[in-house]
Amino acid sequence: MLSVRPAHAFNAPFGSSCGPMEIYLPIAEMPVNILFMIGLGAAVGFLSGMFGVGGGFILTPFLMFLGIPPPVAVATQSTQVVASSVSGALTHLRNGTVDFKMGGILLIGGFCGSIAGIALFNALKAAGQIDLFIALSYVIFLGSIGGLMFWESLGALRHGESKVGASNRGPGAHTWIHFLPLKMRFHRSKLYISVIPPIVLGFLIGLLSVVMGVGGGFISVPAMIYLLRMPTSVVVGTSLFQITFIAAFTTMLHAVTNHTVDAVLAILLIFGGVIGVQFGVRFGARLRSEVLRLALAGLVLFICARLGVDLILPPSDPFSVVSETAE
Amino acid sequence: MRIGALLLLILMSASSARAEELAAGLSRDDIKISSSFTGTDLVLFGAIESEGAAIGTVADRDVVVVVRGPNAPVTVRRKERLGPIWINRDQRQFVGVPSFYFVASTKPLQDIGDRATLDRYHLGLAHLDFNPPPGTVMPPADYRAAILRQKARGELYSEQPNGVQFISGSLFRTTIALPSNLPSGTYDVNVYLFRKREIVTAFSTPLRIGKTGVERWLFKFAADEPWIYGLLAVMLAGLAGWISSLIFRQRQ
Repeated sequence: MLSVRPAHAFNAPFGSSCGPMEIYLPIAEMPVNILFMIGLGAAVGFLSGMFGVGGGFILTPFLMFLGIPPPVAVATQSTQVVASSVSGALTHLRNGTVDFKMGGILLIGGFCGSIAGIALFNALKAAGQIDLFIALSYVIFLGSIGGLMFWESLGALRHGESKVGASNRGPGAHTWIHFLPLKMRFHRSKLYISVIPPIVLGFLIGLLSVVMGVGGGFISVPAMIYLLRMPTSVVVGTSLFQITFIAAFTTMLHAVTNHTVDAVLAILLIFGGVIGVQFGVRFGARLRSEVLRLALAGLVLFICARLGVDLILPPSDPFSVVSETAE
Repeated sequence: MRIGALLLLILMSASSARAEELAAGLSRDDIKISSSFTGTDLVLFGAIESEGAAIGTVADRDVVVVVRGPNAPVTVRRKERLGPIWINRDQRQFVGVPSFYFVASTKPLQDIGDRATLDRYHLGLAHLDFNPPPGTVMPPADYRAAILRQKARGELYSEQPNGVQFISGSLFRTTIALPSNLPSGTYDVNVYLFRKREIVTAFSTPLRIGKTGVERWLFKFAADEPWIYGLLAVMLAGLAGWISSLIFRQRQ
Protein backbone atom coordinates (compact mmCIF):
# COMPACT_ATOMS: atom_id res chain seq x y z
CA MET A 1 0.00 0.00 0.00
CA LEU A 2 2.61 2.53 1.05
CA SER A 3 5.68 2.49 -1.12
CA VAL A 4 7.62 5.31 0.46
CA ARG A 5 7.81 5.96 4.16
CA PRO A 6 9.76 8.34 6.31
CA ALA A 7 12.85 6.68 7.69
CA HIS A 8 12.58 5.43 11.24
CA ALA A 9 15.36 5.76 13.73
CA PHE A 10 15.25 2.28 15.25
CA ASN A 11 16.01 -0.01 12.37
CA ALA A 12 19.23 -1.57 13.59
CA PRO A 13 18.06 -5.24 13.49
CA PHE A 14 16.83 -4.91 9.93
CA GLY A 15 18.91 -4.87 6.83
CA SER A 16 17.59 -3.58 3.55
CA SER A 17 17.89 -7.10 2.22
CA CYS A 18 16.40 -10.46 3.07
CA GLY A 19 18.99 -12.85 4.50
CA PRO A 20 18.51 -16.52 5.30
CA MET A 21 16.76 -15.86 8.65
CA GLU A 22 14.71 -13.02 7.27
CA ILE A 23 11.10 -13.05 6.27
CA TYR A 24 9.19 -10.44 4.31
CA LEU A 25 6.09 -9.17 6.09
CA PRO A 26 3.44 -9.04 3.35
CA ILE A 27 1.29 -6.27 4.85
CA ALA A 28 3.90 -4.21 6.71
CA GLU A 29 5.94 -4.52 3.48
CA MET A 30 9.33 -4.87 5.09
CA PRO A 31 11.79 -7.66 5.81
CA VAL A 32 12.33 -8.70 9.43
CA ASN A 33 14.52 -11.25 11.13
CA ILE A 34 12.42 -14.29 12.13
CA LEU A 35 14.35 -15.02 15.34
CA PHE A 36 14.30 -11.35 16.35
CA MET A 37 10.49 -11.13 15.99
CA ILE A 38 9.90 -14.42 17.85
CA GLY A 39 12.32 -13.16 20.51
CA LEU A 40 10.38 -9.89 20.81
CA GLY A 41 7.12 -11.86 21.16
CA ALA A 42 8.76 -14.09 23.79
CA ALA A 43 10.18 -11.13 25.73
CA VAL A 44 6.80 -9.38 25.84
CA GLY A 45 5.11 -12.72 26.64
CA PHE A 46 7.59 -13.15 29.49
CA LEU A 47 6.67 -9.71 30.88
CA SER A 48 3.04 -10.48 30.35
CA GLY A 49 3.29 -13.75 32.30
CA MET A 50 5.42 -12.17 35.02
CA PHE A 51 3.20 -9.16 35.62
CA GLY A 52 -0.10 -10.75 34.69
CA VAL A 53 -0.83 -8.11 32.04
CA GLY A 54 -1.85 -8.38 28.41
CA GLY A 55 1.35 -6.99 26.98
CA GLY A 56 -0.21 -5.27 23.98
CA PHE A 57 0.60 -1.85 25.36
CA ILE A 58 4.32 -2.78 25.35
CA LEU A 59 4.41 -4.70 22.07
CA THR A 60 2.64 -2.13 19.87
CA PRO A 61 5.07 0.74 20.66
CA PHE A 62 8.01 -1.63 20.07
CA LEU A 63 6.61 -2.59 16.66
CA MET A 64 6.32 1.11 15.83
CA PHE A 65 9.94 1.75 16.96
CA LEU A 66 11.01 -0.99 14.54
CA GLY A 67 9.49 0.92 11.65
CA ILE A 68 6.27 -1.05 11.25
CA PRO A 69 3.57 1.45 10.22
CA PRO A 70 1.42 2.29 13.28
CA PRO A 71 -1.90 1.17 11.64
CA VAL A 72 -0.35 -2.25 10.85
CA ALA A 73 1.17 -2.51 14.34
CA VAL A 74 -2.20 -1.80 15.99
CA ALA A 75 -4.24 -4.13 13.75
CA THR A 76 -1.77 -7.00 14.06
CA GLN A 77 -1.59 -6.48 17.80
CA SER A 78 -5.34 -7.09 18.12
CA THR A 79 -4.82 -10.49 16.47
CA GLN A 80 -2.19 -11.26 19.09
CA VAL A 81 -4.65 -10.16 21.82
CA VAL A 82 -7.14 -12.75 20.49
CA ALA A 83 -4.59 -15.52 21.05
CA SER A 84 -3.55 -14.43 24.53
CA SER A 85 -7.09 -13.75 25.75
CA VAL A 86 -8.49 -17.04 24.37
CA SER A 87 -5.80 -18.86 26.30
CA GLY A 88 -6.62 -17.03 29.54
CA ALA A 89 -10.39 -17.10 29.07
CA LEU A 90 -10.43 -20.89 28.55
CA THR A 91 -8.70 -21.39 31.90
CA HIS A 92 -11.32 -19.19 33.59
CA LEU A 93 -14.16 -21.00 31.78
CA ARG A 94 -12.93 -24.31 33.22
CA ASN A 95 -12.78 -22.77 36.69
CA GLY A 96 -16.25 -21.25 36.26
CA THR A 97 -15.05 -17.73 36.99
CA VAL A 98 -16.84 -15.94 34.12
CA ASP A 99 -20.01 -13.84 34.50
CA PHE A 100 -21.56 -14.42 31.08
CA LYS A 101 -24.41 -11.98 31.57
CA MET A 102 -22.06 -9.16 32.55
CA GLY A 103 -19.72 -10.20 29.74
CA GLY A 104 -22.62 -9.98 27.26
CA ILE A 105 -23.60 -6.49 28.43
CA LEU A 106 -19.95 -5.37 28.19
CA LEU A 107 -19.85 -6.84 24.67
CA ILE A 108 -22.88 -4.81 23.52
CA GLY A 109 -21.02 -1.65 24.51
CA GLY A 110 -17.77 -3.08 23.15
CA PHE A 111 -19.07 -3.77 19.65
CA CYS A 112 -20.55 -0.25 19.47
CA GLY A 113 -17.22 1.16 20.71
CA SER A 114 -15.28 -0.79 18.10
CA ILE A 115 -17.51 0.45 15.28
CA ALA A 116 -17.22 4.05 16.52
CA GLY A 117 -13.47 3.48 16.89
CA ILE A 118 -12.96 2.25 13.34
CA ALA A 119 -14.94 5.22 11.95
CA LEU A 120 -12.68 7.57 13.93
CA PHE A 121 -9.59 5.58 12.93
CA ASN A 122 -10.38 5.74 9.22
CA ALA A 123 -11.33 9.41 9.33
CA LEU A 124 -7.99 10.21 10.96
CA LYS A 125 -6.19 8.00 8.46
CA ALA A 126 -7.74 9.89 5.55
CA ALA A 127 -6.70 13.17 7.19
CA GLY A 128 -3.11 11.92 7.58
CA GLN A 129 -3.28 12.13 11.37
CA ILE A 130 -3.56 8.47 12.39
CA ASP A 131 0.14 7.92 13.19
CA LEU A 132 0.15 10.96 15.43
CA PHE A 133 -3.14 9.95 17.06
CA ILE A 134 -1.91 6.43 17.87
CA ALA A 135 1.36 7.78 19.28
CA LEU A 136 -0.46 10.43 21.34
CA SER A 137 -2.94 7.86 22.70
CA TYR A 138 -0.02 5.72 23.79
CA VAL A 139 1.83 8.61 25.41
CA ILE A 140 -1.26 9.57 27.43
CA PHE A 141 -2.20 5.96 28.25
CA LEU A 142 1.30 4.77 29.16
CA GLY A 143 2.16 8.01 30.96
CA SER A 144 -0.84 7.87 33.27
CA ILE A 145 -0.65 4.13 33.94
CA GLY A 146 3.13 4.09 34.37
CA GLY A 147 2.98 7.13 36.64
CA LEU A 148 0.22 5.67 38.83
CA MET A 149 1.99 2.30 39.09
CA PHE A 150 5.32 3.92 39.85
CA TRP A 151 3.82 6.04 42.62
CA GLU A 152 1.83 3.17 44.08
CA SER A 153 4.65 0.60 44.05
CA LEU A 154 7.14 3.11 45.50
CA GLY A 155 4.73 3.77 48.35
CA ALA A 156 4.19 0.05 48.87
CA LEU A 157 7.93 -0.60 48.97
CA ARG A 158 8.43 2.19 51.49
CA HIS A 159 5.66 0.99 53.79
CA GLY A 160 6.80 -2.61 53.70
CA GLU A 161 3.56 -4.22 52.61
CA SER A 162 0.97 -3.29 50.04
CA LYS A 163 -2.50 -2.26 51.10
CA VAL A 164 -5.17 -3.46 48.73
CA GLY A 165 -8.19 -1.23 48.19
CA ALA A 166 -7.54 1.81 50.38
CA SER A 167 -11.14 3.03 50.35
CA ASN A 168 -13.00 -0.23 50.90
CA ARG A 169 -16.59 0.76 51.39
CA GLY A 170 -17.96 -2.76 51.53
CA PRO A 171 -20.60 -4.40 49.38
CA GLY A 172 -23.57 -2.61 50.97
CA ALA A 173 -22.37 0.92 50.35
CA HIS A 174 -24.14 2.93 47.65
CA THR A 175 -22.46 5.07 45.02
CA TRP A 176 -23.86 7.26 42.22
CA ILE A 177 -23.96 4.15 40.04
CA HIS A 178 -26.88 2.78 42.06
CA PHE A 179 -29.08 5.72 41.13
CA LEU A 180 -28.93 5.02 37.39
CA PRO A 181 -31.97 3.50 35.64
CA LEU A 182 -32.25 0.22 33.60
CA LYS A 183 -31.21 -2.03 36.46
CA MET A 184 -30.49 -5.69 35.88
CA ARG A 185 -29.64 -8.60 38.13
CA PHE A 186 -26.26 -10.28 37.65
CA HIS A 187 -26.42 -13.54 39.63
CA ARG A 188 -22.83 -14.63 39.12
CA SER A 189 -21.51 -11.26 40.33
CA LYS A 190 -24.22 -10.95 43.02
CA LEU A 191 -25.09 -7.50 41.70
CA TYR A 192 -28.26 -5.55 40.94
CA ILE A 193 -27.07 -2.53 38.99
CA SER A 194 -27.89 -0.40 35.99
CA VAL A 195 -26.64 -1.65 32.61
CA ILE A 196 -25.41 1.85 31.70
CA PRO A 197 -21.98 1.68 33.45
CA PRO A 198 -21.03 -1.72 31.94
CA ILE A 199 -22.15 -0.57 28.47
CA VAL A 200 -20.12 2.64 28.78
CA LEU A 201 -17.13 0.65 30.05
CA GLY A 202 -17.47 -1.84 27.17
CA PHE A 203 -17.71 1.05 24.70
CA LEU A 204 -14.47 2.53 26.05
CA ILE A 205 -12.69 -0.85 25.80
CA GLY A 206 -13.91 -1.30 22.20
CA LEU A 207 -12.61 2.17 21.34
CA LEU A 208 -9.21 1.48 22.92
CA SER A 209 -9.03 -1.89 21.20
CA VAL A 210 -9.42 -0.35 17.74
CA VAL A 211 -7.20 2.69 18.22
CA MET A 212 -4.41 1.12 20.28
CA GLY A 213 -4.68 -2.63 19.65
CA VAL A 214 -4.73 -3.33 23.38
CA GLY A 215 -7.02 -5.60 25.36
CA GLY A 216 -7.80 -2.83 27.80
CA GLY A 217 -7.45 -5.04 30.90
CA PHE A 218 -5.61 -2.17 32.54
CA ILE A 219 -8.83 -0.18 32.52
CA SER A 220 -11.52 -2.85 32.63
CA VAL A 221 -10.17 -4.77 35.64
CA PRO A 222 -9.92 -1.78 38.04
CA ALA A 223 -13.23 -0.40 36.69
CA MET A 224 -15.01 -3.71 37.29
CA ILE A 225 -13.63 -3.96 40.84
CA TYR A 226 -13.97 -0.37 42.04
CA LEU A 227 -16.77 1.03 39.87
CA LEU A 228 -19.06 -1.93 39.20
CA ARG A 229 -18.00 -3.61 42.48
CA MET A 230 -17.89 -7.07 40.98
CA PRO A 231 -16.37 -9.86 43.12
CA THR A 232 -12.63 -10.08 42.38
CA SER A 233 -12.97 -13.81 41.62
CA VAL A 234 -14.99 -13.22 38.42
CA VAL A 235 -13.39 -9.97 37.27
CA VAL A 236 -10.38 -11.31 35.34
CA GLY A 237 -12.32 -14.18 33.74
CA THR A 238 -15.17 -11.90 32.62
CA SER A 239 -12.73 -9.30 31.33
CA LEU A 240 -10.82 -11.94 29.30
CA PHE A 241 -14.08 -13.43 28.02
CA GLN A 242 -15.32 -10.13 26.60
CA ILE A 243 -11.94 -9.00 25.26
CA THR A 244 -11.62 -12.22 23.26
CA PHE A 245 -14.68 -11.22 21.24
CA ILE A 246 -13.78 -7.52 21.10
CA ALA A 247 -10.27 -8.28 19.83
CA ALA A 248 -11.64 -10.72 17.23
CA PHE A 249 -14.19 -8.12 16.09
CA THR A 250 -11.51 -5.41 15.98
CA THR A 251 -9.21 -7.65 13.93
CA MET A 252 -12.05 -8.16 11.45
CA LEU A 253 -12.76 -4.40 11.26
CA HIS A 254 -9.10 -3.62 10.55
CA ALA A 255 -8.78 -6.49 8.06
CA VAL A 256 -11.92 -5.55 6.13
CA THR A 257 -11.63 -1.75 6.08
CA ASN A 258 -7.85 -1.20 5.94
CA HIS A 259 -6.19 -4.54 5.07
CA THR A 260 -3.68 -3.83 7.84
CA VAL A 261 -3.61 -7.22 9.62
CA ASP A 262 -0.20 -8.81 8.98
CA ALA A 263 -0.77 -12.53 9.45
CA VAL A 264 2.94 -13.40 9.19
CA LEU A 265 3.89 -10.88 11.86
CA ALA A 266 1.01 -12.06 14.07
CA ILE A 267 2.13 -15.70 13.83
CA LEU A 268 5.72 -14.82 14.81
CA LEU A 269 4.58 -12.71 17.78
CA ILE A 270 2.01 -15.26 18.97
CA PHE A 271 4.52 -18.12 18.72
CA GLY A 272 7.10 -16.18 20.75
CA GLY A 273 4.46 -15.00 23.20
CA VAL A 274 3.14 -18.49 23.97
CA ILE A 275 6.64 -19.61 24.99
CA GLY A 276 7.51 -16.41 26.83
CA VAL A 277 4.38 -16.44 29.01
CA GLN A 278 5.24 -19.86 30.47
CA PHE A 279 8.64 -18.71 31.71
CA GLY A 280 7.32 -15.33 32.83
CA VAL A 281 4.69 -16.85 35.11
CA ARG A 282 7.23 -19.05 36.88
CA PHE A 283 9.85 -16.34 37.17
CA GLY A 284 7.31 -13.80 38.43
CA ALA A 285 6.18 -16.14 41.23
CA ARG A 286 9.63 -15.88 42.81
CA LEU A 287 9.77 -12.08 42.93
CA ARG A 288 8.16 -9.57 45.29
CA SER A 289 5.13 -8.04 43.62
CA GLU A 290 6.11 -4.45 44.56
CA VAL A 291 9.49 -4.89 42.89
CA LEU A 292 7.77 -6.35 39.83
CA ARG A 293 5.32 -3.47 39.61
CA LEU A 294 8.10 -0.91 40.02
CA ALA A 295 10.06 -2.57 37.20
CA LEU A 296 7.00 -2.63 34.93
CA ALA A 297 6.25 1.02 35.78
CA GLY A 298 9.82 1.90 34.81
CA LEU A 299 9.49 0.11 31.49
CA VAL A 300 6.11 1.68 30.72
CA LEU A 301 7.45 5.17 31.50
CA PHE A 302 10.52 4.55 29.34
CA ILE A 303 8.38 3.55 26.33
CA CYS A 304 6.13 6.56 26.96
CA ALA A 305 9.15 8.90 27.02
CA ARG A 306 10.58 7.37 23.84
CA LEU A 307 7.27 7.89 22.01
CA GLY A 308 6.92 11.38 23.45
CA VAL A 309 10.40 12.47 22.39
CA ASP A 310 9.68 11.41 18.80
CA LEU A 311 6.64 13.70 18.77
CA ILE A 312 8.52 16.69 20.19
CA LEU A 313 11.85 16.53 18.36
CA PRO A 314 11.89 18.30 14.98
CA PRO A 315 11.55 15.65 12.24
CA SER A 316 14.56 15.09 9.99
CA ASP A 317 12.31 15.81 7.02
CA PRO A 318 9.06 17.74 7.65
CA PHE A 319 7.60 16.25 4.47
CA SER A 320 6.22 12.75 4.19
CA VAL A 321 5.43 11.19 0.83
CA VAL A 322 2.90 8.42 0.39
CA SER A 323 2.35 6.77 -2.99
CA GLU A 324 -0.59 4.65 -3.89
CA THR A 325 0.29 1.35 -5.50
CA ALA A 326 0.16 1.53 -9.27
CA GLU A 327 -1.22 -1.81 -10.31
CA MET B 1 27.21 -15.56 -22.61
CA ARG B 2 23.75 -14.12 -22.49
CA ILE B 3 24.96 -10.61 -23.03
CA GLY B 4 27.04 -11.80 -25.95
CA ALA B 5 24.01 -13.33 -27.62
CA LEU B 6 22.12 -10.13 -27.01
CA LEU B 7 24.82 -8.05 -28.63
CA LEU B 8 24.77 -10.25 -31.68
CA LEU B 9 21.01 -9.85 -31.91
CA ILE B 10 21.23 -6.08 -31.71
CA LEU B 11 23.95 -5.93 -34.34
CA MET B 12 21.91 -8.11 -36.64
CA SER B 13 18.72 -6.12 -36.20
CA ALA B 14 20.54 -2.81 -36.53
CA SER B 15 22.28 -3.82 -39.72
CA SER B 16 18.98 -3.71 -41.58
CA ALA B 17 18.52 -0.04 -40.72
CA ARG B 18 18.04 2.65 -43.35
CA ALA B 19 18.97 6.21 -42.33
CA GLU B 20 19.89 6.31 -38.68
CA GLU B 21 18.26 3.94 -36.27
CA LEU B 22 18.49 2.76 -32.70
CA ALA B 23 18.19 -0.74 -31.34
CA ALA B 24 18.59 -1.82 -27.76
CA GLY B 25 18.11 -4.84 -25.56
CA LEU B 26 18.06 -5.55 -21.83
CA SER B 27 19.96 -8.33 -20.11
CA ARG B 28 16.56 -9.32 -18.66
CA ASP B 29 13.15 -7.96 -19.60
CA ASP B 30 11.01 -9.88 -17.09
CA ILE B 31 11.96 -9.65 -13.42
CA LYS B 32 10.17 -11.64 -10.72
CA ILE B 33 10.59 -10.19 -7.27
CA SER B 34 10.50 -12.80 -4.53
CA SER B 35 11.04 -12.29 -0.80
CA SER B 36 14.77 -12.83 -1.26
CA PHE B 37 15.06 -10.05 -3.88
CA THR B 38 17.79 -7.63 -2.80
CA GLY B 39 17.83 -5.52 -5.93
CA THR B 40 19.63 -6.24 -9.17
CA ASP B 41 21.64 -4.59 -11.90
CA LEU B 42 20.19 -4.58 -15.38
CA VAL B 43 22.44 -4.01 -18.39
CA LEU B 44 21.12 -2.25 -21.47
CA PHE B 45 23.04 -2.61 -24.72
CA GLY B 46 22.27 -0.51 -27.72
CA ALA B 47 23.51 0.17 -31.20
CA ILE B 48 23.26 3.10 -33.62
CA GLU B 49 23.19 2.16 -37.25
CA SER B 50 23.72 5.00 -39.69
CA GLU B 51 23.81 4.78 -43.47
CA GLY B 52 27.03 6.07 -44.97
CA ALA B 53 28.81 5.75 -41.58
CA ALA B 54 29.96 9.35 -41.37
CA ILE B 55 32.82 9.09 -38.87
CA GLY B 56 33.08 12.84 -38.44
CA THR B 57 29.67 13.10 -36.80
CA VAL B 58 30.38 10.67 -33.93
CA ALA B 59 31.32 13.53 -31.62
CA ASP B 60 27.97 15.35 -31.71
CA ARG B 61 25.70 12.44 -30.98
CA ASP B 62 24.32 11.65 -27.54
CA VAL B 63 22.23 8.90 -26.07
CA VAL B 64 19.70 9.19 -23.25
CA VAL B 65 18.22 6.09 -21.60
CA VAL B 66 15.06 6.43 -19.51
CA VAL B 67 13.42 3.69 -17.43
CA ARG B 68 10.04 4.72 -16.09
CA GLY B 69 7.76 2.74 -13.76
CA PRO B 70 3.95 2.99 -13.76
CA ASN B 71 2.47 6.31 -12.68
CA ALA B 72 0.68 6.61 -9.34
CA PRO B 73 -1.03 9.35 -7.36
CA VAL B 74 1.08 10.65 -4.48
CA THR B 75 0.14 12.50 -1.29
CA VAL B 76 2.70 14.83 0.28
CA ARG B 77 2.17 15.98 3.85
CA ARG B 78 4.04 18.68 5.66
CA LYS B 79 4.68 18.59 9.42
CA GLU B 80 4.50 21.81 11.36
CA ARG B 81 5.00 22.60 14.99
CA LEU B 82 1.76 22.88 16.96
CA GLY B 83 2.50 23.62 20.61
CA PRO B 84 5.09 21.09 21.71
CA ILE B 85 4.45 18.49 19.02
CA TRP B 86 5.02 18.11 15.28
CA ILE B 87 1.85 17.44 13.38
CA ASN B 88 0.93 16.93 9.71
CA ARG B 89 -0.75 20.19 8.72
CA ASP B 90 -0.90 20.71 4.98
CA GLN B 91 -1.41 17.89 2.51
CA ARG B 92 -1.19 18.12 -1.28
CA GLN B 93 -1.80 15.64 -4.02
CA PHE B 94 0.01 14.94 -7.26
CA VAL B 95 -1.00 12.69 -10.13
CA GLY B 96 1.15 11.03 -12.77
CA VAL B 97 4.13 10.53 -10.49
CA PRO B 98 6.30 7.67 -11.79
CA SER B 99 6.85 4.96 -9.19
CA PHE B 100 10.36 4.48 -10.58
CA TYR B 101 12.49 6.77 -12.71
CA PHE B 102 16.01 6.25 -13.99
CA VAL B 103 17.76 8.39 -16.54
CA ALA B 104 21.29 7.91 -17.85
CA SER B 105 23.01 9.88 -20.58
CA THR B 106 26.34 10.23 -22.30
CA LYS B 107 26.81 13.70 -20.77
CA PRO B 108 24.80 16.04 -18.50
CA LEU B 109 21.29 16.50 -19.93
CA GLN B 110 21.47 20.30 -20.25
CA ASP B 111 24.43 19.81 -22.61
CA ILE B 112 22.46 17.34 -24.74
CA GLY B 113 19.15 19.04 -25.42
CA ASP B 114 17.19 22.27 -24.99
CA ARG B 115 14.93 22.77 -22.03
CA ALA B 116 11.81 22.54 -24.20
CA THR B 117 12.87 19.18 -25.60
CA LEU B 118 13.79 17.80 -22.17
CA ASP B 119 10.44 19.00 -20.80
CA ARG B 120 8.45 17.49 -23.66
CA TYR B 121 10.02 14.05 -23.27
CA HIS B 122 10.34 14.27 -19.45
CA LEU B 123 14.08 13.71 -19.57
CA GLY B 124 15.73 14.35 -16.22
CA LEU B 125 14.36 14.71 -12.69
CA ALA B 126 13.98 18.47 -13.19
CA HIS B 127 11.77 17.84 -16.22
CA LEU B 128 9.30 15.36 -14.75
CA ASP B 129 5.70 16.47 -14.93
CA PHE B 130 4.07 16.20 -11.50
CA ASN B 131 0.67 17.85 -11.59
CA PRO B 132 -2.02 18.37 -9.00
CA PRO B 133 -5.33 16.59 -9.69
CA PRO B 134 -7.48 18.49 -12.23
CA GLY B 135 -9.22 21.50 -10.74
CA THR B 136 -6.73 22.06 -7.91
CA VAL B 137 -3.95 24.61 -7.60
CA MET B 138 -0.26 23.86 -8.05
CA PRO B 139 1.40 23.19 -4.67
CA PRO B 140 4.53 25.14 -3.72
CA ALA B 141 7.81 23.94 -5.23
CA ASP B 142 9.10 22.37 -2.01
CA TYR B 143 6.32 19.75 -2.15
CA ARG B 144 7.60 18.61 -5.51
CA ALA B 145 11.15 18.71 -4.18
CA ALA B 146 10.08 16.48 -1.26
CA ILE B 147 8.90 13.78 -3.69
CA LEU B 148 12.19 13.90 -5.60
CA ARG B 149 14.20 13.83 -2.37
CA GLN B 150 12.35 10.92 -0.77
CA LYS B 151 12.16 8.86 -3.95
CA ALA B 152 15.90 9.39 -4.44
CA ARG B 153 16.52 8.33 -0.84
CA GLY B 154 14.64 5.09 -1.54
CA GLU B 155 16.79 4.64 -4.68
CA LEU B 156 13.64 4.82 -6.78
CA TYR B 157 14.74 7.95 -8.65
CA SER B 158 18.19 8.42 -10.05
CA GLU B 159 19.98 10.47 -12.65
CA GLN B 160 23.31 9.31 -14.11
CA PRO B 161 24.74 12.17 -16.23
CA ASN B 162 27.59 9.97 -17.49
CA GLY B 163 25.83 6.63 -17.18
CA VAL B 164 25.81 5.78 -20.88
CA GLN B 165 29.15 4.75 -22.33
CA PHE B 166 30.08 4.14 -25.96
CA ILE B 167 31.94 0.85 -26.31
CA SER B 168 32.71 1.49 -29.95
CA GLY B 169 31.63 4.04 -32.55
CA SER B 170 28.10 2.67 -32.68
CA LEU B 171 27.68 0.46 -29.60
CA PHE B 172 26.72 1.82 -26.19
CA ARG B 173 25.75 0.40 -22.83
CA THR B 174 24.40 1.47 -19.47
CA THR B 175 23.78 -0.23 -16.12
CA ILE B 176 20.39 0.26 -14.46
CA ALA B 177 20.37 -0.33 -10.69
CA LEU B 178 17.04 -1.74 -9.54
CA PRO B 179 16.54 -1.44 -5.75
CA SER B 180 14.97 -4.07 -3.46
CA ASN B 181 11.78 -2.01 -2.95
CA LEU B 182 11.00 -1.95 -6.67
CA PRO B 183 7.29 -1.36 -7.40
CA SER B 184 5.74 -3.92 -9.71
CA GLY B 185 4.17 -3.21 -13.09
CA THR B 186 5.14 -2.72 -16.70
CA TYR B 187 7.99 -0.27 -17.10
CA ASP B 188 8.86 1.69 -20.23
CA VAL B 189 12.46 1.69 -21.36
CA ASN B 190 13.09 4.49 -23.85
CA VAL B 191 16.34 5.23 -25.63
CA TYR B 192 16.75 8.58 -27.40
CA LEU B 193 19.42 9.54 -29.91
CA PHE B 194 20.28 13.26 -29.93
CA ARG B 195 22.12 15.05 -32.69
CA LYS B 196 22.75 18.80 -32.52
CA ARG B 197 20.43 19.09 -29.48
CA GLU B 198 17.52 17.47 -31.34
CA ILE B 199 16.05 14.00 -31.02
CA VAL B 200 16.81 12.10 -34.23
CA THR B 201 15.33 8.76 -33.38
CA ALA B 202 14.09 6.76 -30.43
CA PHE B 203 13.64 3.17 -29.39
CA SER B 204 11.19 1.72 -26.87
CA THR B 205 10.94 -1.62 -25.13
CA PRO B 206 8.90 -2.82 -22.13
CA LEU B 207 10.32 -4.16 -18.87
CA ARG B 208 8.02 -6.27 -16.74
CA ILE B 209 8.45 -6.27 -12.96
CA GLY B 210 6.25 -8.82 -11.22
CA LYS B 211 6.09 -9.99 -7.65
CA THR B 212 6.01 -13.63 -6.75
CA GLY B 213 6.00 -15.88 -3.70
CA VAL B 214 3.87 -16.53 -0.62
CA GLU B 215 4.14 -12.93 0.61
CA ARG B 216 2.70 -11.67 -2.66
CA TRP B 217 -0.12 -14.16 -2.45
CA LEU B 218 -0.92 -13.14 1.14
CA PHE B 219 -0.91 -9.45 0.18
CA LYS B 220 -3.39 -10.09 -2.63
CA PHE B 221 -5.47 -12.37 -0.42
CA ALA B 222 -5.72 -9.67 2.29
CA ALA B 223 -6.77 -7.11 -0.32
CA ASP B 224 -9.11 -9.27 -2.43
CA GLU B 225 -10.81 -11.40 0.25
CA PRO B 226 -10.56 -9.27 3.40
CA TRP B 227 -13.44 -11.06 5.18
CA ILE B 228 -11.97 -14.52 4.71
CA TYR B 229 -8.46 -13.27 5.48
CA GLY B 230 -9.64 -11.60 8.69
CA LEU B 231 -11.64 -14.65 9.76
CA LEU B 232 -8.66 -16.93 9.13
CA ALA B 233 -6.37 -14.62 11.12
CA VAL B 234 -8.82 -14.63 14.05
CA MET B 235 -9.27 -18.41 13.88
CA LEU B 236 -5.53 -18.98 13.72
CA ALA B 237 -5.01 -16.74 16.75
CA GLY B 238 -7.83 -18.49 18.62
CA LEU B 239 -6.35 -21.87 17.80
CA ALA B 240 -2.92 -20.77 19.04
CA GLY B 241 -4.51 -19.55 22.27
CA TRP B 242 -6.40 -22.81 22.72
CA ILE B 243 -3.29 -24.94 22.18
CA SER B 244 -1.28 -22.81 24.58
CA SER B 245 -3.98 -23.14 27.23
CA LEU B 246 -3.85 -26.94 26.82
CA ILE B 247 -0.08 -26.93 27.30
CA PHE B 248 -0.45 -24.56 30.21
CA ARG B 249 -3.02 -26.81 31.93
CA GLN B 250 -0.79 -29.85 31.66
CA ARG B 251 2.12 -27.98 33.17
CA GLN B 252 0.14 -26.79 36.18
